[in-house]
Amino acid sequence: MPFDPVAYAIPVFVALIVAELMWSRKTGAGHAYEWRDTGTSLAIGLGSTIAAAATGGLTAAMLVWAHGLLPLSIGWAWWAWPLCFVLDDLAYYAFHRSAHRVRWFWASHVNHHSSQNYNLSTALRQSWTGFIALSFIFRLPLALAGFEPGMILACAGLNLVYQFWIHTETVKRMPRWFEAVMNTPSHHRVHHAVNARYLDRNFAGTFIIWDKLFGTFAPEDDEDRIRYGIVSQLGSFNLLHVVFHEWLGIVRDVWRAPWRHKLSYIWRAPGWSHDDSRETSEMIRARWEASRGKRHR
Amino acid sequence: MDGVWVQFLGSLLAVVLIVLLTWFLGFRTAAKLDSEAEATAQFQLAPGGFEPASLALDRQGASAIARDAQGRIAVLVPHGTHFVVRLLNEGSAITARDGVLQIAGIESLQLDLGESAERWQTPGN
Repeated sequence: MPFDPVAYAIPVFVALIVAELMWSRKTGAGHAYEWRDTGTSLAIGLGSTIAAAATGGLTAAMLVWAHGLLPLSIGWAWWAWPLCFVLDDLAYYAFHRSAHRVRWFWASHVNHHSSQNYNLSTALRQSWTGFIALSFIFRLPLALAGFEPGMILACAGLNLVYQFWIHTETVKRMPRWFEAVMNTPSHHRVHHAVNARYLDRNFAGTFIIWDKLFGTFAPEDDEDRIRYGIVSQLGSFNLLHVVFHEWLGIVRDVWRAPWRHKLSYIWRAPGWSHDDSRETSEMIRARWEASRGKRHR
Repeated sequence: MDGVWVQFLGSLLAVVLIVLLTWFLGFRTAAKLDSEAEATAQFQLAPGGFEPASLALDRQGASAIARDAQGRIAVLVPHGTHFVVRLLNEGSAITARDGVLQIAGIESLQLDLGESAERWQTPGN
């Protein structure tokens, strides 16, 4: 059984959520939390631990299989840990960007974005269907490169633990040097926003440098109030609806689509439709930019 | 195996306690619109875009209804502490009674608009 940092972090998560609740109450941030929303977030989090327990062995087996394919083995040298962590974060960036750009991956990831609230409990809206969505494939290159599967899984867990604290509105900005390198509450609020200018931005896990490097970074603008959630807000606290609605949407769309478009409803961007009756993030941004241009003329 | 069950039951207990704490701390207030500008900003988030040409706020700020230049009608439905935009199907029945609007298909939503309610009623209702 590989070392799982998330299991050890759960009591800390609970303590920090209680602390944020108290702080929000004290500062009068009455809309920071909503009790049913929190219940849904935590229930999804609990369900995700069961899903992870059920499929974690399969993910580990895939990594062990990939590790054995090439005669490369880095072993457990101390220097391999930071290197593995940084490369795993790059793999996370690739996974996360794909999770927003390919509907099959999005179906698994969407529940993380389904809350219109943004607080520490939102962080626990983790996927139940990550294995079905093939999320593990993004970490196979690390195993092929010779990193130990146990080390990769531990780094992935540490990455997830890091991302917990950035789901908050209580922290406005970190010191400038920190904001320049690390993913922060400010950067991640942008990622959870549905404001047109912010869609599909800031995919980073731990290091924001990947977004700056690959052109997907957007800074938070204090003048533009952030609206959280997804483009088509669910309007539901129903746990099963939140977790599975996009998978059902794929089934429905594939069933109804003409034969030559069926696969496109699986691998194209969320919001794509063969008759242009819906909008992808790019289309929404283009519409917003066009309307902004009109206003400024 | 016992350890797994202890972890699961402990997590479940924590979930229940946090939800109860959230409720007791008062995080159960309904969504409220403070101004037409806020309602407009919310309508503009509708999938596919929606620019209100005319708009009416519920008198308690509990909801809003708007019509765009194409004649489409949308409402803001409260969901927890936030709102969800719902574009009404063409021909959706809107009835006004004693200043309160009722929309077919969204029975949970009632808009208290006072005298202006009748202006939003669809013909034949």
